[in-house]
Amino acid sequence: MVAKTTVQAPLTPAVLHILLALSAGERHGYGIMKQVEADSQGKVKMGPGTLYGSIGRMTEAGLVRESNKRVDPEMDDERRIYYSLTAAGRTALEAELQRYRSVVSVAEGRFAYAE
Amino acid sequence: MPSNDVVRHYKTWYVTLLRLYPQSFRQRYSEQMAQTFQDLCRERSDAGRGLLGFVMWVFLETSGGIIMENTTQMTQMSRTTLRVALGALAALMVPLVASRVVDGWNWPARAFVVVYLLFFAIGMAYALIARKMSSQSYKAGVGLALAAGFALGWSNMVQVADSGHPENLAYYSVLVVGIIGAGISRLKARGLAFTLFTMAVTLAMIALLLPSAAPPDMALRMAIGHIVYVVLFAAAGLLFRHASRAESRPASSTDN
Repeated sequence: MVAKTTVQAPLTPAVLHILLALSAGERHGYGIMKQVEADSQGKVKMGPGTLYGSIGRMTEAGLVRESNKRVDPEMDDERRIYYSLTAAGRTALEAELQRYRSVVSVAEGRFAYAE
Repeated sequence: MPSNDVVRHYKTWYVTLLRLYPQSFRQRYSEQMAQTFQDLCRERSDAGRGLLGFVMWVFLETSGGIIMENTTQMTQMSRTTLRVALGALAALMVPLVASRVVDGWNWPARAFVVVYLLFFAIGMAYALIARKMSSQSYKAGVGLALAAGFALGWSNMVQVADSGHPENLAYYSVLVVGIIGAGISRLKARGLAFTLFTMAVTLAMIALLLPSAAPPDMALRMAIGHIVYVVLFAAAGLLFRHASRAESRPASSTDN
């Protein structure tokens, strides 16, 4: 069991990347890592400690849910737990992306003015 | 290119490292973490890349996670203890105020200490058991079972002290059934549901079979008291049964 915690905006980079990875569809732990690496063009490398620590807090906060174990047909015959976004997780991701857009918009206005 | 044996060795060491996580985290994620670690090692191994540096980085990164999870758990435990201690103090105000305003209620100081320790123990038991499950039904079941168990134990203790009828000690067998059942079921919802139903049946049997020399008005009040306790234990059992059924449902049908 993991103690009750909440994940509040602004989200940590790890939580944001995991939400973004899962917005492409459900993934197991290794799949999430590969998706995060692909989404960030290799700039973000997440270790198992960060990944599962974040997943624990996100599950408690109701942002992600885990499914039953099953085999990944593209890998070996080991059964893996898959994770997917909940409605709350999708809302949190959209809110965070909106916050980023606002920050970028302010920054772009300021730099355009400076130029 | 590192062989499968090397990957297996690294995985064994990694599993050993994962033992340093708090138990609750370990039970939930250590198998997945070890699996992911193996996937990452195989990926590098298949690509013909060296493993030592990568493995050291993962061990270091995971050690950071271990420190963080243990620190978080300790902080939460301290907060829980403080909250329960304050809650027990608030609950103690009830007998404390009552002893001032109700005639004949004159507990010695040590009785208040004992009651405070009991409140604290019940509160901590609730906090520690309820945190094992996120299900609201499970938490409500734990709260109801502990409250009913405490009330039964306490009222019976007062009854034995006042009436001097040692046969009333038979009621403690209901609590013994609960303690044994909780241990055997390892606090799983399904087992606890069975335990609480058994407690309700045990109490009903004692109420029916234990001879009573009470006058009619007292006998009626006792009968009502018994029915209330039986209903409370059965209600707690139903809450655990509900939690157990929700547990066994696929995740996709429980969270939409």
